[in-house]
Amino acid sequence: MSKLLEIRGLRARIAGGREVLKGIDLDVSPGEVHAIMGPNGAGKSTLSSVLAGKPGYEVTEGTVRYLGHDLLTMPADERAREGVFLAFQYPVEIPGVNNMYFLRAALNAGRRQRGQAELDAQQFLKSVRERLKLLDIGDDLLRRAVNVGFSGGEKKRNEIFQMAMLEPRLAILDETDSGLDIDALRAVSDGVNRLRDPARAIVMITHYQRLLDYIVPDRVHVLADGRIVASGDKTFAAELERTGYAHLVDAA
Amino acid sequence: MPIWSMRLEAGGAMLMTDDSAPFREGFDQMLATAAEPVWLTFRRRAEMDRFALLGFPTRRQEAWRFTDLEPLTAAAPLPMAAPLPMAMADDLPSPASLALWLLPVTTHRLVLANGHVVPSLSAGPPLPDGVWLASVAETLRRRPDLLEGAFGDEDGALAALNAALFTDGVVLALEPGVTLETPVEVIHHTTAAGAHARLHIALGAGSRATVVETAIGPVGDGAAAGPVTSWGNTVGVVTLGADAVLTHLHIQAEGPAACHTAAVRAVLADRARYDACAVITGARLSRRDMAVVLAGDEAEFRLYGAYLLDGGQEATLSVRADHLGLGCRTDEVVKGVLAGASHGVFLGTLAVAPGADGADARQVNRNLLLSPTARVDTKPELEILADDVKCAHGATVGSLDEAALFYLQARGIDPETARRMLVEAFAAEVLDAAGLPTALAELAHRHLWRWLDGRDS
Repeated sequence: MSKLLEIRGLRARIAGGREVLKGIDLDVSPGEVHAIMGPNGAGKSTLSSVLAGKPGYEVTEGTVRYLGHDLLTMPADERAREGVFLAFQYPVEIPGVNNMYFLRAALNAGRRQRGQAELDAQQFLKSVRERLKLLDIGDDLLRRAVNVGFSGGEKKRNEIFQMAMLEPRLAILDETDSGLDIDALRAVSDGVNRLRDPARAIVMITHYQRLLDYIVPDRVHVLADGRIVASGDKTFAAELERTGYAHLVDAA
Repeated sequence: MPIWSMRLEAGGAMLMTDDSAPFREGFDQMLATAAEPVWLTFRRRAEMDRFALLGFPTRRQEAWRFTDLEPLTAAAPLPMAAPLPMAMADDLPSPASLALWLLPVTTHRLVLANGHVVPSLSAGPPLPDGVWLASVAETLRRRPDLLEGAFGDEDGALAALNAALFTDGVVLALEPGVTLETPVEVIHHTTAAGAHARLHIALGAGSRATVVETAIGPVGDGAAAGPVTSWGNTVGVVTLGADAVLTHLHIQAEGPAACHTAAVRAVLADRARYDACAVITGARLSRRDMAVVLAGDEAEFRLYGAYLLDGGQEATLSVRADHLGLGCRTDEVVKGVLAGASHGVFLGTLAVAPGADGADARQVNRNLLLSPTARVDTKPELEILADDVKCAHGATVGSLDEAALFYLQARGIDPETARRMLVEAFAAEVLDAAGLPTALAELAHRHLWRWLDGRDS
């Protein structure tokens, strides 16, 4: 089975600044859930930003292939339309832009890219209702402007809801667990689990092992000082819980 | 040189200039042939003398520091010497161009071409009792009492020139306790230089009306630069009796070679409410001066507006609200979107007179710069002479939020659409906040969309 994502020797820096990623190698296949863990400053969020195409980073070396295409030459919006989804650590508030209007524009942009007919208002609403039900989310969030006045938990749930609507092939969850209390964490995790799919890969970036109690990964990686220093299967997460990853970081 | 040609400069030196000279010959001819009430002839003479004394405003005057009329005054020879004759067929808007600007509901419509009401383009259902709506020319013939005394010495030089040279306009007068449900739609179509029209609105105690005032002109080749070829100069006089309510939407969508100047003076009695909304996107050079006097107790003035400019456009929105009564309220929110090498100016003054306690006034001006060559000057001011008041003002200038742009793109929305969504959200917010009746809100939003569509990203 061909790889969904192939990262080879990826080095990147903050534009005009220090090098953060110092040679990342990672393979992700469809249906897999990968967890990337590591201490603060290891480069976890930089990796997700580079994959999503956020401005302000420079790739200095290496390649990223997504479904066989060179991901790094694609603009951020094209990556999204091709099925790459970043769940933001800090979802952005956009006053004046209605959540539903925004989501329909995003959904139809992707459908146009794939040569599918755009959804009309009725079809879109039907799809929205199905996803809300699947994720057990109320519809009050939809009437508001994008993320404006949302609590931390609501913002994270809105990200997962968007993921459910946009049906990405590759979802990158950037510290989706941060700032959530235990109930919100459970709700968000349940949502992600329902979106696991043989055709879809999920890369979770997280600081805490507790997320992995809720979303059980196929592969666990430790990122330290810009490199993946250790990898293992889901039992590796339990091992890390006992040993911590300080010894891996020091070894790097 | 006659006395009216002298202007007293600061410092006491007499400067011999006369900006009124090019107008004199046509003005005298007009007075000689017009069959007007004597008081009006005197009035016109006085106003022309006042203009001669004041001259065209210049940037040496504080209120005009950021507004350069040079594209107008240097566009010689502007054929503005004589009051314009009755409109010719070429001066009329085409049905297609007019249709773009019409409200999607039944209205009392008056279309003016170069300052003259065109009866063939004007229509509406029968007027209810207690409502007078007619051209200025007809009002002067049949109800001159509605206009006598409706000219103000306190207005500026351009208003004086308007009062001297005006050809026509619209008069709306409501007797006390009358509600005019159907909106009044006044459309100014200007193709020539020097169209001076008036809009008089007088609402009796407890009466209510809705007025949409739209200024349009030839679309031209789209480039807002160089000299101006048309100039519309209007004056609005609004008088609201106790408990009267006026909703007043102004849409300025003149062509790229137009100059548009307008002065609006409003006086509000006890508990009167003036709801104004202005959407300004047109003209090479434009200026709208609003002077609102909250004379009665608990009078209320609200202004929600936006100027959206591109290319070499320059627009000034100047608003002064004088609070004289007790417990008056003012709420102003004006937003600017500046693209290309455009220049926007907001001048806002909130004044509270001695003893006008309980005033609650807010004034906000927010600007979005879409290009490094766009400029904005914003000057919100307070003149508070009463003790017990609540006044707030603020101004911001910023660019599009990069984080929001990336967020939209990270969901698959292309950069151009993302920028458009953010600009629309920024401007639409103020139109929504205006709380306009549905048909007016629709027109205002349509105007915004047309601007967004017509702009090169």
